[in-house]
Amino acid sequence: MNNFSIKNVLKKNTMIIVMFVVYIFFVIMTNGVIFTESQFTALISQNAYVFVLGAGMLMCMLTGGNIDLSVGSFVCLVGAIAGVVSVIHMVNTPLTLLILVGIGVLYGVILGYLIAFLNIPPWIATLAGYLAFRGAGTEILTSVSTTSAISNFPADFLAIFSGRVFESPAGILNIPCLIFGVLCIALVAVMNFTSRAGKVKKGYEAEPMGYVIGKTILEAAIIGLLTYKLAMDGGIPTVLVWVVAIMVFYSFICEKTVIGRHFMTVGGNAETARLSGINNKIVMFVAYLNMSILTVIASLMVTARFKAANSFAGQNFEMDAISACIVGGVSAYGGAGTVFGMAIGATLIGIINLGMSLMGLDQNWQKVVKGGVLLAAVVFDIWTKKNSGKK
Amino acid sequence: MTGSKILSFLKKYMMLIALVAVVIFFNIATSGRALYAQNITNLIAQNAYVFVLATGMLLCILTGGNIDLAVGSVVCFAGGVGAIMMDKSIPWPVAVIVMLVMGLLIGMWQGFWIAFVKVPPFIATLAGMLAFRGLANVVMGGFAYSVTDTTYLNIFGGGADCYIPDLFAGIGPALTASDGTVMNKFCLVTGIVAAIAIVIYTFLHRAYLRKNGYKLESLVGTVIKTVIICAAIIWLFYKLSSYKGIPTALIWIGFILGLFAYITTKTTLGRNLYAVGGNEKATRLSGINTKMVMFKAYTLMGLLAGFAGVLNIARFVGAQPTYGMGYEMDAIAACFIGGASAYGGTGSIGGVIIGALMMGVINQGMDIMGTSSNYKLVVKGLVLLLAVFFDVIMKMRKKGGAKA
Repeated sequence: MNNFSIKNVLKKNTMIIVMFVVYIFFVIMTNGVIFTESQFTALISQNAYVFVLGAGMLMCMLTGGNIDLSVGSFVCLVGAIAGVVSVIHMVNTPLTLLILVGIGVLYGVILGYLIAFLNIPPWIATLAGYLAFRGAGTEILTSVSTTSAISNFPADFLAIFSGRVFESPAGILNIPCLIFGVLCIALVAVMNFTSRAGKVKKGYEAEPMGYVIGKTILEAAIIGLLTYKLAMDGGIPTVLVWVVAIMVFYSFICEKTVIGRHFMTVGGNAETARLSGINNKIVMFVAYLNMSILTVIASLMVTARFKAANSFAGQNFEMDAISACIVGGVSAYGGAGTVFGMAIGATLIGIINLGMSLMGLDQNWQKVVKGGVLLAAVVFDIWTKKNSGKK
Repeated sequence: MTGSKILSFLKKYMMLIALVAVVIFFNIATSGRALYAQNITNLIAQNAYVFVLATGMLLCILTGGNIDLAVGSVVCFAGGVGAIMMDKSIPWPVAVIVMLVMGLLIGMWQGFWIAFVKVPPFIATLAGMLAFRGLANVVMGGFAYSVTDTTYLNIFGGGADCYIPDLFAGIGPALTASDGTVMNKFCLVTGIVAAIAIVIYTFLHRAYLRKNGYKLESLVGTVIKTVIICAAIIWLFYKLSSYKGIPTALIWIGFILGLFAYITTKTTLGRNLYAVGGNEKATRLSGINTKMVMFKAYTLMGLLAGFAGVLNIARFVGAQPTYGMGYEMDAIAACFIGGASAYGGTGSIGGVIIGALMMGVINQGMDIMGTSSNYKLVVKGLVLLLAVFFDVIMKMRKKGGAKA
């Protein structure tokens, strides 16, 4: 019964291993193109929205496999409003952001109320938004612009969500990025060792020392590689800061706070949760309010990346976020899932997308592969659970 | 007492009343153009796919609020393959069979994962939505294919001549409508025959119920209901006959709706669908193979999606890689507007008809008014939300009433 036997460690980290295998596969297939500096930046900036929306979707799915179909359309609508407020009415950036977050809160409150207090099934309530927001967003854009897109966003608006932190020319090692990377490695190492020391002290079952050292070395190597690649390509992309901040914040909420545990409990068994004094409705309400606010952030990221608000922005984003969760091992029935798992799922999907694009595989086959990966991930999840149940 | 009676009446016929209100609204807003014979004909032909897909979606929803997100992509995939086959001058009956078989196989594929492996329907069909859209585009290579076989087009409701010709044209005096067009007498007669058939069926059924001692509706109620239905049918056929006659698409819609009305109300499979949606565990314990019921629901959905593909390429006289986008939403919305429960176990083909008509009327009314297609989406979203909202409020009241 060794929890840290090689077999168990491999089993626990299947998706991470799959991710590496897939990555190496694409490195070979693209003759190393995917391993170049600019592709690291591309991987991050293209997929930043998946992480943000995935975090929100995760919270919804935890409460019982509930989803939000309206995120993609809402991204489009918020982008359109951002364009109108910021570009056409020339409102200053802080106020614009405030207005947009306000709109997110408003929608979140309405949606949360419909789902949590009126018991409207989440996917119908959000299906209405899926239809309505796409229409409204497109209408706003076509009414103010002949190309149904708004560009010329002010520079300070774009700088918040795009570009690089302390940018330096590509090819020259970016010092702030390196320093930050070293700090990260140190932080991870300290956390790994203090966490083990804490467990030993309190008499919990702790990982063997060798495992902790191995894990730390591996993590340090990955962070180191990423840091080096980003430093060579001009520095840390601004969106990466957002993504990391959001990931850390939601990991903390999910694993260390009472409200986070409530999400799991409601998803695990709603009735038990209610009887043990948890207000299920508030939990559901918060999940959807949170989703809407994160959608606003995702919308700003996408708008900043394209430097424009488009009527086709956000198409299929809901699918990407859901796929990231499912591939990352979040239960489709609720109650189980981690932010870290979702991040692995998002990265895996991002690698597959990027790799296929670099290989020159056309969009259509990419869709087929995406669908296949999604189905395979769920089936894999169901089968492993069945087997562990038998034991 | 009277209050609760009015409430239950409202609850039962709310969507029908809403439909009539919407029709009247558009008729006024377009100063009568919405009810032109040609527009009514188009309404049917353009929305044939909603009727067909919503019928299949109803089966899935009945089993417990499960949906199929892949139908739009399946319509595109099956239609694309069919169009390519006809482009390669393979005879159309072969193409139609291939399209139907494709739909069936896709339905079985999805049904397998959903029913036997227990993959949540939403995810299994989401994967299908991506994969089949991709495959459709791969097969078509990004090109549009046109369908030129006029026999095919005429039979499945596309092109200029997809109407049942006036078989009675030479018999009796020629009738002309108020605007001077010659009326299609065959169409008119068909409408009258259909109305008579409904009257006869209603009263035979009533007699049967009385003979076997079932509870009967009041005679006045039955008469009023029958008169309204017959009036609606005769009015519809009158309108159709003053344009070009019965569109062939209507025959297919009628056939599919009739067949599935029969399946859902009179067959074991139909009752099982309701039972599974009402209480899956109880159904399983009473010896019904619930997995098989789920499997069949998705298989039939696939078959109907294949058939919608057949109608779709006829209506658009060709296939394009973008066809079928958003169809799943139209079908789902039609079911809910028609009163299907999002939790399964409740819903009917009659409701689907009302829901699909509502979507169609809104689509077309706004087209005629010249509103942009963007507003159409907004209105559709709001109507869907209102329908569910109304349903939920009604249920809450009922619960509250029962407690008090």
